[in-house]
Amino acid sequence: MELFRKEDKMSSLITRNYNLLPVINRFGIRLGFKEKTIAEVCQEKKIDTDFFLAIVNTYTDESYFPEAEFLSFSPVLLIDYLKNTHKYYINYVLPKIERLLNQVLQSCPENCSSLKMINTFYQKYKTELLLHLKLEDEKVFPYIINLYENKTLSAEGSFIEVIENEHTNVEVKLSDLENLIIRHLSPNYEDNAMNEFLTALLQFENDLNDHARIEDHILITQVIEFEKELKK
Amino acid sequence: MKENVFIVHHSEIIRKGLSLILQEYFKMEITQLSSAKDLSSFSAISGSTLILILEAQADLNTKAIDLLKKNNDVYLVGFYGETSEEHFDKIFDYQLNHYSSAIQIQKLIQVIRQSGSKSKNSLQDNGELTTREKDVIKLIALGLSNKEIADKLFISIHTVISHRKNITEKLGIKSISGLTVYAIMNNLLDIQDINPEELI
Ligand SMILES: [Fe+2]
Ligand SMILES: [Fe+2]
Repeated sequence: MELFRKEDKMSSLITRNYNLLPVINRFGIRLGFKEKTIAEVCQEKKIDTDFFLAIVNTYTDESYFPEAEFLSFSPVLLIDYLKNTHKYYINYVLPKIERLLNQVLQSCPENCSSLKMINTFYQKYKTELLLHLKLEDEKVFPYIINLYENKTLSAEGSFIEVIENEHTNVEVKLSDLENLIIRHLSPNYEDNAMNEFLTALLQFENDLNDHARIEDHILITQVIEFEKELKK
Repeated sequence: MKENVFIVHHSEIIRKGLSLILQEYFKMEITQLSSAKDLSSFSAISGSTLILILEAQADLNTKAIDLLKKNNDVYLVGFYGETSEEHFDKIFDYQLNHYSSAIQIQKLIQVIRQSGSKSKNSLQDNGELTTREKDVIKLIALGLSNKEIADKLFISIHTVISHRKNITEKLGIKSISGLTVYAIMNNLLDIQDINPEELI
C-alpha cells in the first residue's frame, strides 16, 4: 500500500485503511476532519507530524522502516504512544474479546468441554499478555525514560533484550489459540457468535504484531544504540 | 517430484533400446551412460525421484549411488544378461533382462510411480498423527522434558525433537499448553492427569 504523506487528507487515511481508526484515537484525533490535511490536524492537536506519519505508515506497510524520522524525535514520545496502546488493549480490546468468547460459550448446546478448554487456554494467554504489558509499563519504559534523562547506564544492567523473546512467546500462544479453533475444535457453537469472536481475535493479532514491531524495530533498536554510545 | 531416469550399460543397443521403449509411453528425462563411473558427476541432483537402470554384472559405483540416495528417492533396477534369477542381487528394487517385454519395462515405471506417491502420502499422513506422535504429545502435555520423553519411549533425544517438529507441522500448534489442550480435546489425555492451574 502507498505510504501516507503530510499533505494527504486526514479523511483519506481512514477510507484507505480503516484499521487506523483506533490508532488515530490514541493520538487524541477524532472523526469529523472536513477537508483538513494530516499536517493541519496534527498541528491543531499539537502532535509531531513526522512522528504521526511514521506510526501510521508502520501500520500500513509491513516493510516500512522509518529509521531517519524516528531518530529525530525522543523515544519518550514513542513510549507515550505505546502506553496508550496498552491501555486500549487492557480497557477495551481484551474485555471485548472476552465478552464475545462468553457469547460463544453460551451458544454451545451440549458437550461443551472442548470449548471450555479453549476458554481456559485463552485465559492463560491473557494472563501472560497482561504480565508482558505490565513488565513494559513498570520496568522497561521507566528504564528507558531514565536512561535518556540521566544519560548514564544503570548499575543493574539493561533488560532490553528480554522483550524480544517475550514477544515471540506471546505471539506463538495466540497463533496456537487460532489454530485450535480453526483446525481442531468441533463446531459445537452458534456460527455468528464464533465468527464475531474470531474476527475480533484476528484483528487483535494484527494490531498486536504491529505494536510489537514498533517496539522491537524502532524503540529497542534505538535504545540499544544509545546504550552503546553511553558505554564508550 | 521431478523424475530422472538413468540407463547405465556398456552396450549402446541396449541403452538406446530401453530408452525408446520408455519414451514411447512416458515423457521423462533419460540420461544414457556407458559406465557407472559417470554417475559421480550427477551427485548434485536433489529432491528428485531417480530411477537407475544399471547393468547388473558390471561395477555399480555404490559410492555415487549412496550420495544420490541422501537427497533423492532412488530406485535401483538391475539389468541382467540372462533370464536366470540366481543372480538376482538384493541391492536392486526391481530387475529386467534382455528378454523383458516392452510392457514389462513400462510397467516398472508405473510401479515405481505408485510406490513413490504412496511413500509421499505416508509422510504427510493427511495430517493425522501417528501412534508414536500421540505418545509424544501425551508426555509433552504431562510436562516431561525431551530427555525424559526419550528415556520413557526408549528413543534418542534427536528422534523426540523430530517427532515434535512433525507434530507442530501437522497441527499448527507450538506451545506446550496449546498441545495440552489439543491432547485433552482429542481424548489423548484426561483432564485429571494434569494440573490445570500449573500447565494451562
Ligand atoms: Fe507493548
Ligand atoms: Fe511488547
